[in-house]
Amino acid sequence: MKAAEKRIVIGVYHLSRSFGKYFALQDINLQVANGEFVFLVGPSGAGKSTLLRLIYMDDFPTTGQVVVGPYVSTRMKRSTIPFLRRRVGIVFQNFRLIDERTVFENVALAMKVTGAGMSEIKRQVTDILARVGLYHKRYDYPPVLSGGEQQRVAIARAVANRPAILLADEPTGNLDPVVTKSILELLFKVNAAGTAVLMATHDIDLVRSFGQRIIYLEEGRIVRDKEMIFVGDLRERLPDSKVSRRADDLEGYDISGEGSGNGVERGPRE
Amino acid sequence: MNVNAMRYLISESVLMLGRRKGSNIISIVIMGLSLLILVVFLLVTLNISRIIEATREEHRVYVYLEDGLAQNVSQAIQLRLLGSEGIEEVIFISKEEALARFREALGENRDILEALEENPLPDEYRVKLRPELIRSDFMGRMASEIEGWDGVEEVRYGRRWLERGETLVRGFYIVDLCIGAIIFLSVIFVISNTVRLMVISRRKAIDVMKLVGATNAYIQVPFIMEGALQGIFAALLAVGLLVLIYLFGTRYLSGLVFLDPGAVVGFIVFCALLGALGSFTAMRRFLKM
Ligand SMILES: Nc1ncnc2c1ncn2[C@@H]1O[C@H](COP(=O)(O)OP(=O)(O)OP(=O)(O)O)[C@@H](O)[C@H]1O
Ligand SMILES: [Mg+2]
Repeated sequence: MKAAEKRIVIGVYHLSRSFGKYFALQDINLQVANGEFVFLVGPSGAGKSTLLRLIYMDDFPTTGQVVVGPYVSTRMKRSTIPFLRRRVGIVFQNFRLIDERTVFENVALAMKVTGAGMSEIKRQVTDILARVGLYHKRYDYPPVLSGGEQQRVAIARAVANRPAILLADEPTGNLDPVVTKSILELLFKVNAAGTAVLMATHDIDLVRSFGQRIIYLEEGRIVRDKEMIFVGDLRERLPDSKVSRRADDLEGYDISGEGSGNGVERGPRE
Repeated sequence: MNVNAMRYLISESVLMLGRRKGSNIISIVIMGLSLLILVVFLLVTLNISRIIEATREEHRVYVYLEDGLAQNVSQAIQLRLLGSEGIEEVIFISKEEALARFREALGENRDILEALEENPLPDEYRVKLRPELIRSDFMGRMASEIEGWDGVEEVRYGRRWLERGETLVRGFYIVDLCIGAIIFLSVIFVISNTVRLMVISRRKAIDVMKLVGATNAYIQVPFIMEGALQGIFAALLAVGLLVLIYLFGTRYLSGLVFLDPGAVVGFIVFCALLGALGSFTAMRRFLKM
């Protein structure tokens, strides 16, 4: 078991974001390393969504800065935002799929816009749909899918370009507990393959049992950043997981999108 | 631009047009019908102006000669007429010929001419002017000049008719231009608005494309192409319906003319540009450029 090289994939430094006189976020400092799985927890209105938007640079800080791989918020040009987005997968509570495109096309779109070739797209999308268990529904349109299935498509789309980072904003917010578990499982699977995951949720009970790093956000401030206790494939932590736990379920993703390597190798602590 | 990008842009445009057949067909019909109003207007204007032109062509100036003029004087007048500015054609009609024509024209009532002891009609020259000179001011000047020539009895050019006609034609063109401008502006409004609504209805898809890292060009170009395609289809619909109207019209009105092919092509190109422009301006707002 070799120690994985640790790299910071998300850095947030002295960040504040105000809307008029109201501070949605205040003096936020945090770093996320490659291959980490971090929960961002806080009550409604704490600023979770705002923080994620600042990370994928749909919004910019009032003061301070956000660094995502080679992209720095204070030096960002509008024309380079698309290239940041290709290295950051994003998943929302409301799935945000395009209704008039099939499951396959929804996932393929993320690759198409990068100028990827047809054969590569076909191979990769087929592969990913198989991994999220929706290959048999590839010709269906999102409106006929269940919420859980739609979210799987959204996750498939988010990881289609093998991103270094996956941001998930209440990805289980619209789903029942059973489906919630399966979506979490899928996110753990993505993480096990080497993608750093930052998942926002207001459901503290949901995330407490995994021993993962949890950042508590309240009224725009980080009130606690709990160390990671458990190191390893998080799926082991899910009760009666039916998914194979082999870490090569999803092949390792190139974390930073710049170096080589297959992400982080991890194992349970001795 | 590489091959993948080209393929993407084309397949995207086709996909977008095909997937939303229902709403696309509605948009195209709305645009097509408003364009139909424009092309019908153009066709009507074209045909009316053709009739005006034809009437102008027919117009003649009558130069009546004094009675018993020597032939060489009459010929000198003809030569002088032919040498004058703007005169295209001079035809001599002798008093006998004029009477014969008159008799012909009278038909069954020709008996009344029997009472005549001698031919009261003068010899005349029928003068055809260049169409653009058929204006009351020019012709008035010309007529009074020719009337001063030796051997010319009188010159008639239908002054009152001409003046009234001119007022009428001028009035027609002013009204026509105003109506045309209104129709033109409405068409631009309808098309750009329809295309804009199409773009707005895809707002969600646009946001998704931004989310997954599409550059503005990748998002925009398929929409612009779709706007252009909608414009083309709407134009074809309008022209198709216009052909039907034209064919129907020719059964009742002879001599009806259709827009010339160049104008039809120009019209289709114009509609494509309008659709593309409508899409482009609508996109700008979403893409914050
Ligand atoms: N564009 C904006 N303009 C004004 N206020 C905003 C804007 N975006 C966010 N806010 C405010 O910032 C605060 C944090 O909002 P945010 O959506 O980040 O909360 P959240 O933690 O995601 O909550 P929830 O769990 O309900 O999704 C809220 O009070 C919100 O009203
Ligand atoms: Mg939120």
